[in-house]
Amino acid sequence: MISDITLGQFFPGNSPLHRLDPRCKIILSVLFIVAIFIADTPIAFAFLFLVTLFLIIISRISAKVIFKGIKPIIFVVVFTSLLNVFLTVGKGAPLVEFYFIKIYTEGIVRAIFMSLRVILLIIGTSMFLTYTTSPITLTDGIESLLSPLKVIKLPVHAFAMMMSIALRFIPTLVEETEKIMNAQKSRGADFSSGGIIKRAKALIPILVPLFVSSFKRADELAVAMECRCYRGDINRTKLVKLEYKIRDFIWIFVFALILSATILTKFLPDMITRASEVLDILFYHI
Amino acid sequence: MDSVLEVRNVSYLYSKGTPFERVALDDVTVSFERGKITGLIGHTGSGKSTLVGLLNGLNKPLSGSILLNGIDIWQKPKEIAKIRYKVGLVMQYPEYQLFDETVERDIGFGPRNQGLSDEEVGLRVKEAIRYTGIDADLLSKSPFELSGGQKRRVAIAGIVAMQPDVLVLDEPAAGLDPKGRREILGHLKDFVSERGASVILVSHSMEDMAMYCDNVVVMNEGKIHSNGTVSEIFSRADELISIGLDVPSVARIAEKLKSRGITLDGELYTVDGVKAAIRKYIGGANNDL
Repeated sequence: MISDITLGQFFPGNSPLHRLDPRCKIILSVLFIVAIFIADTPIAFAFLFLVTLFLIIISRISAKVIFKGIKPIIFVVVFTSLLNVFLTVGKGAPLVEFYFIKIYTEGIVRAIFMSLRVILLIIGTSMFLTYTTSPITLTDGIESLLSPLKVIKLPVHAFAMMMSIALRFIPTLVEETEKIMNAQKSRGADFSSGGIIKRAKALIPILVPLFVSSFKRADELAVAMECRCYRGDINRTKLVKLEYKIRDFIWIFVFALILSATILTKFLPDMITRASEVLDILFYHI
Repeated sequence: MDSVLEVRNVSYLYSKGTPFERVALDDVTVSFERGKITGLIGHTGSGKSTLVGLLNGLNKPLSGSILLNGIDIWQKPKEIAKIRYKVGLVMQYPEYQLFDETVERDIGFGPRNQGLSDEEVGLRVKEAIRYTGIDADLLSKSPFELSGGQKRRVAIAGIVAMQPDVLVLDEPAAGLDPKGRREILGHLKDFVSERGASVILVSHSMEDMAMYCDNVVVMNEGKIHSNGTVSEIFSRADELISIGLDVPSVARIAEKLKSRGITLDGELYTVDGVKAAIRKYIGGANNDL
């Protein structure tokens, strides 16, 4: 069922990750993403893998949930891995040669790195953002992080409000789609057979009611907000003010270290060869 | 009893295997009588809507079976779509399913999916609007121009037009005023008597049950609490109240009188029934009234 998708779902809890400041978590995700894209050695990936594992353990979110979250992207990962395996042309002799198919070691390595990168990226960011941060705190965090842009007249508050409304209505929309699908199935609609054109046509009975009710809901929401005197962020105060704590700084510091360590691994082989050269010269002179 | 639909030892879970797992139906066995209007009541979360979704094969029971005219509906899983024509389900707030350009085309969506000829579809639509009390003038209008009650009736007509053996209505009158309720529910009896169809009516309203149903099935916490004819069920008003259901207001009056030592007898769940009973009671003591 559609509602079984867990990617992008908040799991309430009280783990150290849940307690972090949302702005801190956004910064941490950015650092983590940069680290993942810089990493290109087995050591770096092993290291980031351990970091991700650590995040999963302290968030106290079950492995089952996390596995379900990455399930929808497994097809994409496998598909791109295969492309990488078959299309990468390496320097040395091919590992396997079969008519026009040539597989190089580089291709396999690249495919493994790419899959790890995507999977760690999804798990890492959902660990910080979606699983442990409620959509409302998340948009609060985004609004606060972007607030310096108000100086150049960017409608930061409107942007954050739009995001929180969009996030809030995803589950509603999913539920609604399911309901409408069931209603049309009860009238004998068939979504799973026939050619592309027939299937596209079969979507009309779902899309029309879905759009109609979405517009209606948007209208009702706007009226409800106006009834409560919503005027954007003019004179609006917050019930829960975001405040950085010492632990937030510690986390950011640790992740900055992780990022630097990942960058360092890039130069590690280079440094080792250079160091051995230096040693060679030294020993030669002695 | 000649039953059209039989539910045998059916269980159903939501979100199986996740932290959100919830038992919706727990070993439910019940049968629905042919040619009758059976009410299905129970408060929110009692499993009514889940049961209804299983009856026409939208969901498959985790265990147990559902028999339509004595045959398991999941015997041939590939032909489950055919079951949906025989057990017509009108979902809650069905007006959200309207999509076509005209009311006529929308009502005809089900019959067209059944593969009927245009001519036959036209006849089905005409018959369906008669059973749901829709004006023929509305047929050429867009369903989105109609009022809430009219939309609701068009949506119901869309199911009736498939000429199901069993018509299942999930809260068809929710959110409508008394006039709208009467317009929708009043026509059901004609549908049953003329077509020989059976109806299952899910509702919160005991007044509706008392007025329109022959039999009543009471559900509570995923189980069948009790089932019987309307008078059997409403004669045990205290039990219904104990599981948090509302009984018709007049039945509550009868109940209050009983607790004060005034025992009435007769049909104590309709206004007329209670009126007659009170008159009889008082008449016995004081002939002036």
